[in-house]
Amino acid sequence: MKKLTSTLVALATLATAVAADSAIDARKVTTSLDKVSNTSSVWNGAKFSTVTLYPQTTIEFNDKKANEINAENKAVKAQVAAVYNSAKIAFLIKWPDGTKNVQQGNRTDSYADGFAVQFASNYANPAELPYIGMGSEGRQALIHLQKQVVKFYEPNGNGDVATQVNPNQTELFGKDLKVFNAKVDTLASLDYEKSYVGEGFRSMTEIKDGSSNSQSTMTYGKNAWTGTLSRSLKDTYVDLNAAAIPVAFAVWDGEKMGRNGLKYLTAWTAVVFQKGDNTLVNALHGKIEGDATKGKESAIANGCTGCHQMEKTDAASLMGPSLTNIGGYATVDYLRESLVKPSAVVVPGYNRNAHSNYAWYNIENGKRVSTMPDHSWMEKADIDNIIAYLKTLKAEVK
Amino acid sequence: MSKRQLAMVMDLNKCIGCQTCTVACKTQWTNRNGREYMYWNNVETYPGTGYPKNWMELGGGFDAAGDLQPGVIPNLEADYGVPWDYNYDALQGGASFEPNVEPTWGPNWDEDEGAGVFPQDNYFFYLPRICNHCTNPGCLSACPRDAIFKREQDGVVLVDLDRCQGYRYCIAGCPYKKIYFNPKISKSEKCILCFPRIEQGLPPACAQQCVGRIRFVGFLDDEEGQVHKLVNKYKVAIGLRTDYGTQPNVYYVPPTESPAKFDANGKIIEGSTRLPIEELEKLFGPEVHGAIATLKAEMKKRKETGESELMDILIAYQHSDMFRLDNNYYQQVAKESGQHLLAPVDNRYVTGKHTKAGHVMKFFHGGDVKAGGHH
Repeated sequence: MKKLTSTLVALATLATAVAADSAIDARKVTTSLDKVSNTSSVWNGAKFSTVTLYPQTTIEFNDKKANEINAENKAVKAQVAAVYNSAKIAFLIKWPDGTKNVQQGNRTDSYADGFAVQFASNYANPAELPYIGMGSEGRQALIHLQKQVVKFYEPNGNGDVATQVNPNQTELFGKDLKVFNAKVDTLASLDYEKSYVGEGFRSMTEIKDGSSNSQSTMTYGKNAWTGTLSRSLKDTYVDLNAAAIPVAFAVWDGEKMGRNGLKYLTAWTAVVFQKGDNTLVNALHGKIEGDATKGKESAIANGCTGCHQMEKTDAASLMGPSLTNIGGYATVDYLRESLVKPSAVVVPGYNRNAHSNYAWYNIENGKRVSTMPDHSWMEKADIDNIIAYLKTLKAEVK
Repeated sequence: MSKRQLAMVMDLNKCIGCQTCTVACKTQWTNRNGREYMYWNNVETYPGTGYPKNWMELGGGFDAAGDLQPGVIPNLEADYGVPWDYNYDALQGGASFEPNVEPTWGPNWDEDEGAGVFPQDNYFFYLPRICNHCTNPGCLSACPRDAIFKREQDGVVLVDLDRCQGYRYCIAGCPYKKIYFNPKISKSEKCILCFPRIEQGLPPACAQQCVGRIRFVGFLDDEEGQVHKLVNKYKVAIGLRTDYGTQPNVYYVPPTESPAKFDANGKIIEGSTRLPIEELEKLFGPEVHGAIATLKAEMKKRKETGESELMDILIAYQHSDMFRLDNNYYQQVAKESGQHLLAPVDNRYVTGKHTKAGHVMKFFHGGDVKAGGHH
């Protein structure tokens, strides 16, 4: 308990001291990171950074009630620290949440609070990181997810036949029935912790063969969640042995019916192991060139608003992804690429079955080709201005 | 769109609301493992709130332009109803027979109420509903995980439980609310058209057990099949709420006959009918007029000449004619795809089938308890 208090005090003081959304400095430790929680002593000397999580608004989902309660979402600030040893890396993320929501096993309308940490499989070129939401074609992302689900039973092929019946259909009564119910109880999983690989929305696939191992915890207290994740520096999907790596964080609010895209997420954020090579830090946290005011004029003149909802006050459009929070979670390089090479990353989240009249892309020779025109003809200064404008498009912080 | 489409026709003139189909489905699929509240097959009273409550007003489906419409996910307690049980255990101690929860709502809460004023013009009919295995499913379009698919060989719409993450957009997307969230496994589940039975040449349990013999099952493109004849040849079987744009593949023969109304003195008003045609139009669209006209004409023809193929079909003489599942077709599909046909009942649930009282039920807890020992 003493340890917990000191950690929380450390978190509280650091929260005010750190400037917004800088890179995260990872601290090297010699202790084991095999089992990490919010009370672990490894966090005592860790340096905390602030990251901002923006409501994802790229795609609107078809849940009427959820859309209503999420319409005015503000951004959320979280404190993050990272520590590593020779084999593992661990993260701690603390974010405010006024309500503790645990998905119940006997209701159809309860949703879980949760968090995820995302890694890029290939980050050698910081200008070509996976799409922030869920990776993109040819740019794989690895996602570790922890959710608060009270108890769940995976459908399994383990032949637990006799326990898959309604208790009232057994021939058991009294004490025997209690024993039976206790047996069924042991088959439930209490820890909804999963890992996925994704190359864009709808492609996300759970890793079930043990090829990626992680250990995470979630603890609620004082109107905030603290999540921790510990994982190997290297597995089949990612190799984090580098001077700096990109990570992204997402959190879900069960109170707001949060699940999948209904979440808050950060932009790619640099985690720095060794000072010196600043390529990744500059790409993700460098100064933004360009004039946002001129950029807005240019965006209007070039017809961006014809297909995209840019500002919150603009009308929603099915023609293209909503950009109302793009400045919060997209990097400068991603925005540039989207302008000059629109087909380099085509968000596959657009469901062709759902809105058959609005094609975000066509499939030519098996490749997605964006219906957005190529803007590589524009002057660099003009593109910089538009990017500067796009970077201003984001919700205010709560 | 799948290569072939298996479809069901339900003759509403013959449905007596006995719920045998509901029970057949429930005992086969939904009486356990978090599915207790689900009715993959239900029979509701129309007009009425239906199941889940007011499902027609909960959104989903597509607009005229073909865009998926937002929908609402029903609440278990208020809209579906908590499946209650009784205090069997306490009865041994002399307690009175009580439900274990205070029931506030459930399927068929308003059974047989209908509309109108008794005895002048009250009316209702039964509407059995299963998943429509739509050609353009709202659930499939809504899924952000590609976890829902439509089988090529027969158009059956299924959930891949491995891919499903329990997001529940499918429930909002289905205008019929015939896909359900299983909170125990945190995944969505739905009517599977008893595909393990179908693949063995057996009709879905609901159709097999129907005492009114109202259900026909067959491939839409099988021109010799009764389903094809009812839907395409005579056009007397129509999809439910086709205005939702999902192209449902369960078809209904609309109710054609209803008693006359009474006047204030209790006298029959000649030529009147209790069932308002507007209600049928709402459910089945303008095609309902043509369907009813054909049905009446064929009825008349049968009375006068003794001949009518349509009436012979609707009399439903033989199960073998009503269910044309073309067993060899599935065997061929399995052979071509190199897969095995599934057993008609999920084998995981079969153990214990032949268990007699007194048998040692060792799978319960290590074989130390004799089943039936307390009887």
